[in-house]
Amino acid sequence: MTTTREQITTATRSYIIQEFLPGESPDSLASSTPLITSGILDSIGTVRLVSFLEEEYAIQLEAHEMGVDTLNTIDDIARLVLSKVSEK
Amino acid sequence: MNLDFALSMEEKALRAEIVAFAREHLNDGAIARDRDQHFSRELWVKCGALRLQGLLIPEAYGGRGLTPLAATLAIEALGYGCTDGGLSFAICAHMLACSVPIMRHGTDAQKRQWLPGMASGELIAANAMSEPATGSDAFALASRAEVSSDGFRLSGRKTFVSNGPVADLFVTYAATDASKGFHGGITCFIVPTVTRGVTAGEPLEKMALRSCLMSDVSFAETHLREDSVLGRVGGGAPIFAESMEWERTCLVALHVGAMERILEDAIAHARVRTASGQAIGKFQAVAHRIADMKVRLEATRALVYRAATTLGHTRESGLSAAIAKLFASESLVASAADAVRNLGGAGVLVETEAERALRDAIAATTYSGTSDIQRNIISRWLGL
Repeated sequence: MTTTREQITTATRSYIIQEFLPGESPDSLASSTPLITSGILDSIGTVRLVSFLEEEYAIQLEAHEMGVDTLNTIDDIARLVLSKVSEK
Repeated sequence: MNLDFALSMEEKALRAEIVAFAREHLNDGAIARDRDQHFSRELWVKCGALRLQGLLIPEAYGGRGLTPLAATLAIEALGYGCTDGGLSFAICAHMLACSVPIMRHGTDAQKRQWLPGMASGELIAANAMSEPATGSDAFALASRAEVSSDGFRLSGRKTFVSNGPVADLFVTYAATDASKGFHGGITCFIVPTVTRGVTAGEPLEKMALRSCLMSDVSFAETHLREDSVLGRVGGGAPIFAESMEWERTCLVALHVGAMERILEDAIAHARVRTASGQAIGKFQAVAHRIADMKVRLEATRALVYRAATTLGHTRESGLSAAIAKLFASESLVASAADAVRNLGGAGVLVETEAERALRDAIAATTYSGTSDIQRNIISRWLGL
């Protein structure tokens, strides 16, 4: 089954709301909202998010892919995950 | 699920080999090395002949190629057989914070250049991360690596560098983009000690693990070639975090071994030492203390083995490692203090070696992240 960008975006938003922004409405988290530079994700939060993505999409992220350039927004995350899924 | 901790024949042989080696070669003179704050390169080389420093390094690079769990059992055997806590700590710091990152993130050329010597004991490596102004806030680095014409120029000062005064190479971390911090701004470098601009300071005088020398290390406009980068530029923070997970899991197997040795010594003493006409082990106050030591040992062992099975397989190994490290180090302190109490007045005598075990134990609650930092990590994993 093909994984779509929209599916990744929805699942990631849901995970971030549940784990890091409890009580917030999913509508309050835009796909372009900064996650790292705004402090929503700290170092361990990032590792937890990566753990979720790796398990959910059966992918493996490298150390240099766990940075602000690749994980700062839901858009960034969807782009990275899609590229990883397409490599499989 | 398999909770049977029975060792295989191969694992029993590995343990017996290391315990026998440690007892025969590593314990004589431990009191003097502690008193004089002396690191023995001769003993280091002997350990290398057994490839103790290369437990995890693949056989293709001269190591034993053990799995994390098997290496943990071997390290436990070292902690059990070896009473020189500084030496066994030096071996583990070299192996877990230096050879593991190279093994897991190095290019084939880097592995071929460094791992055989690190496995054989020819080389000593030191992890240089902490800085004078940053302790537990590990990624707020002041050290900088600026891009130069054919590599990087590294400037900064590191502190609490175990093996620093005797190291042949450093695995160190510097900011290559300070604005990104943990998230892509830290890069890991392999720096040979002979590189111009590298200066290891004099050994710091310390309370514990005194046969493992520790110092500051400074990098003054140190020129590094591009192939000094371990992993990718900006990928250093996850490499360091991963190395700490391995250290928190495998190094604390030393504590399991030490706690078992301390427990056996306490039982032996309580059986033969008499007071008021009976062995002191017959007194409930002593017996209960020793029972608590046994409980701590078994609980620690379970946590450490559990954590070792997750290494390299799941990101959640960071959580298991923090739990194991916190419990193991605090349990070691408690059991080492109980061992001193069980000896009565003799417990504070250097010759009984109980006081040294207690001093070494206290250090365990500070290195690889303090107990408070482990609690921070655990609570962050719990979403708090």
